[in-house]
Amino acid sequence: MRTRLLAVVMVAALAVAGCTSDEEPSTAAVSGPLCGELPKGDEPGNPTALASESVDQALQWITVLTTFEGALRASELVPELEGKKAITVLAPSDDAFMAKFSQDNLDELMIKDKDALRTLLRAHIVDRSLSLADLRDADSVTTLDGTTVKVSEADKMARIGDEATTVCADYRIANGRVHVINHVLGNFPTTAGQGDSGH
Amino acid sequence: MNHRRSTVIAISALLAATFAPVVTSTSAFAAPLPAFAAAEPNQVTDLTVSQADGFATVAWTPVPGAADYQIERTAVDAANAPTGTPTVVGVWRPNRQINNETPTFADAGFNPGTRFQWRVRARIGTAEQPYSSPVFDTTKAPWGDPAVAGQNLRTQWETTQAAQYTSDANEYAYTAAVDQLSERVRVVEIGRTVQNRPINMLVIGYPTPPATPAAVAATSPLAVNCNVHGNEPGDREACLIMARQLAFSNDARTLGLLKNTTVLIVPTINGDGRAANTRGNTTGQDLNRDYSLIRQPETAAYVRMLRDYRPVAGYDGHEYGNNQAGDLPMLPPRHQNVAQQIFDESLDMIENHMYVEGAKDGWWACPYGCANGSGVGLSEETILRNTLGLKNTVNSLLELRSSGGATRPDEGNTANNRRRKTFSALWTFNQFMDYHHNQLSDIKKARGEAIEFQAGNNGRIVFRGSRVVPLHPAPHPGEAGPREDLPTPDMILDNAPCAYKLTEAQYNGARTDGPNDVGATVAERIAAHGWKVVKVADGYVVPLAQPERGLIPLLLDEQGEEEWVSGERVYPTLTGRHNGPLTISGFACLSGATVNGPVNLRPGATLVATNTTISGPVNAANAAGVFFGDSSVRGPLQVANTNGPVTVIGTNVSGPVNLVNNTNGAAPYFAGNSVSGPLNCAGNSTAPTNLEVRNVVNGPRAGQCSTL
Repeated sequence: MRTRLLAVVMVAALAVAGCTSDEEPSTAAVSGPLCGELPKGDEPGNPTALASESVDQALQWITVLTTFEGALRASELVPELEGKKAITVLAPSDDAFMAKFSQDNLDELMIKDKDALRTLLRAHIVDRSLSLADLRDADSVTTLDGTTVKVSEADKMARIGDEATTVCADYRIANGRVHVINHVLGNFPTTAGQGDSGH
Repeated sequence: MNHRRSTVIAISALLAATFAPVVTSTSAFAAPLPAFAAAEPNQVTDLTVSQADGFATVAWTPVPGAADYQIERTAVDAANAPTGTPTVVGVWRPNRQINNETPTFADAGFNPGTRFQWRVRARIGTAEQPYSSPVFDTTKAPWGDPAVAGQNLRTQWETTQAAQYTSDANEYAYTAAVDQLSERVRVVEIGRTVQNRPINMLVIGYPTPPATPAAVAATSPLAVNCNVHGNEPGDREACLIMARQLAFSNDARTLGLLKNTTVLIVPTINGDGRAANTRGNTTGQDLNRDYSLIRQPETAAYVRMLRDYRPVAGYDGHEYGNNQAGDLPMLPPRHQNVAQQIFDESLDMIENHMYVEGAKDGWWACPYGCANGSGVGLSEETILRNTLGLKNTVNSLLELRSSGGATRPDEGNTANNRRRKTFSALWTFNQFMDYHHNQLSDIKKARGEAIEFQAGNNGRIVFRGSRVVPLHPAPHPGEAGPREDLPTPDMILDNAPCAYKLTEAQYNGARTDGPNDVGATVAERIAAHGWKVVKVADGYVVPLAQPERGLIPLLLDEQGEEEWVSGERVYPTLTGRHNGPLTISGFACLSGATVNGPVNLRPGATLVATNTTISGPVNAANAAGVFFGDSSVRGPLQVANTNGPVTVIGTNVSGPVNLVNNTNGAAPYFAGNSVSGPLNCAGNSTAPTNLEVRNVVNGPRAGQCSTL
């Protein structure tokens, strides 16, 4: 309800600025504090342009998901996800991965321990399409690894589990939604800061 | 169209336009200030903005007592009316540049070609002082006329406005198009990755690149390695843009550079890692821990390229996660086995060129390390920076600070961040080419002296341990360099052997340290590095009297930290004085020796002589190997029909030199020598090379040595 009110205020302000005349109302609005830092407007990779893309294609345009995107390709889960009627991808940002895993650990997962990688990624995917509003209304979601994660409202965003929050939610893709989140989910040990990641 | 986003921008612009004149008394947006307007107290004055590829250099007159400065940028339209929110995009701090009298800031991250207003204000303590008068300007569009074939090529990274990195397929198509449309460019495949991706190198010269690797080597080329860690792609995008500029730019600077040398660009040594966005290659090996060991096909390809093209200078591109670092952390080859001349010249390139030019253009070049960086920048010879130094190549590591950090607060936006990194790398590589162009005689002198030093088997051997990078005089552009990293006693061998001897099993035995548990043999790896090896009755001898003396022990000595095999140390057979003729059969190593009399090698014999004086003729016929380093021969030197390597480096010969009919296959080395007499070479199965280290010959040079 608060969201709708805000939209009304913004449209009113826009009308004052006199810029609305030839713009269609968007069907692919994303929201969250990080959205402003991602491709927008008519820039390549803007949310509207991704709405009909497959999950692997769409992820290649969301600039803070390079780690997740590479990991998903490495996991070889893409065909399975594209075959699903609807999915929700809770995709941790590159910063979230950097705060969670060392470089060596990430390479290990992506190159050598693909079973573990698949478990990790399944902990970030839900078997139906959930909008931000759906997440905010839900009490919990069950991810593909079988884990049930509690969800709740967090200001205008959704809290996923204890630590993660959506930071740019409601990307539409061909068969569902992608929400960028700010923490890695699942029960993997934190290894960030370990090992040799200098040149 | 993202409705909400554009709404926010419209409102912000509106608010800015409405309130800016109120909050800043110097009137920001509308008309330029009258020229006679007096500056307010502590207001920044003399603001200038100049445009370059992908960045704008903002400069001003310093305000006394300023702790730092904020650089503000606002998108404007052609009439200079704001279209975006005023944003502080930069913070200038005194540790940013070596001269604080003329502060500069390289503003980058914007989409090239857009128009902006810039203002700068000082902060005294934390108190913000009045903004300067604004400057309006349009930034440079992406390089290349869209209407001119070749110039109009763009990478995937450019066409997507940095939303996507250039894919492998796009790189191959782009470089192929550059190759096809430019006479200056030849794209060669130097190897394949584990997953069989081509590893390409652009060979760029004017009007055309020399036809063969040896001909390229003769131009003292420079090499840029753009992408060894797959998840650090910023330098690679710069390399691809630079290739287009070099291929199609007709400005005097570019043509001047390319007329005098050859530029070697390897965009993606780790194509598999780039495609997968992993640091390592597809086996998980960090390739920048493999350039000495060359267990992987990617590093082996690079090392073979170094052997064949012999670049005299290099840069190796990375990104660095330490957000307290400068824009462009750099570091010379520090391993203590690197010749002093190479270390000094590399440090000169960094401190006396990059720091100086960075202060002019606004880029913060600094020593690698910085705060919290004590664990990086050390002496592993497996790192290309050190491997190149051990191959007598002046070079530096280049890091691009991954995040915006405290000094670039507008880089939460990924595209802004990517563009700043790539255009800072483009600046660095262009500066690198300028340094090479301007300092080539110094680089070649350092390299020549280093090769002579190494071939003389001089000094102790250090297996691991760095030279200290002294702190640059204040104001230091970084807070600290990498830690001292001196060698521990167990990493030092004071009494260097003359050579290492390998058994048949060590030399040709199967290895399991490569992909899928299959590794190239030591013989193949030695060949890739280009070392000279003598076949003897019971094994293979690798003398240290050759240019890569600093690297050889690190791979063949049991004391090495990461060696291939524990070769047998072979010590000199003669270190003192010998009066009378000396006849050599089998293996002889003269180190610091004096021979008063002629030296004759029997068929099948090997002579290694370093820091040795021979007063008398030297005659080697049908020998197995002949090595001279840093020595003197007072008499003729005749080397004929050698069925093995021949190398004569840094040696004075008082008499004629005759190198004939040597049939080892690889080129004999004849480099950095002084000959009082004629130099004649004929009938050698491969023409001798001077490794681009000229000989001084007081007599005619004939045959295969006519240009040495």
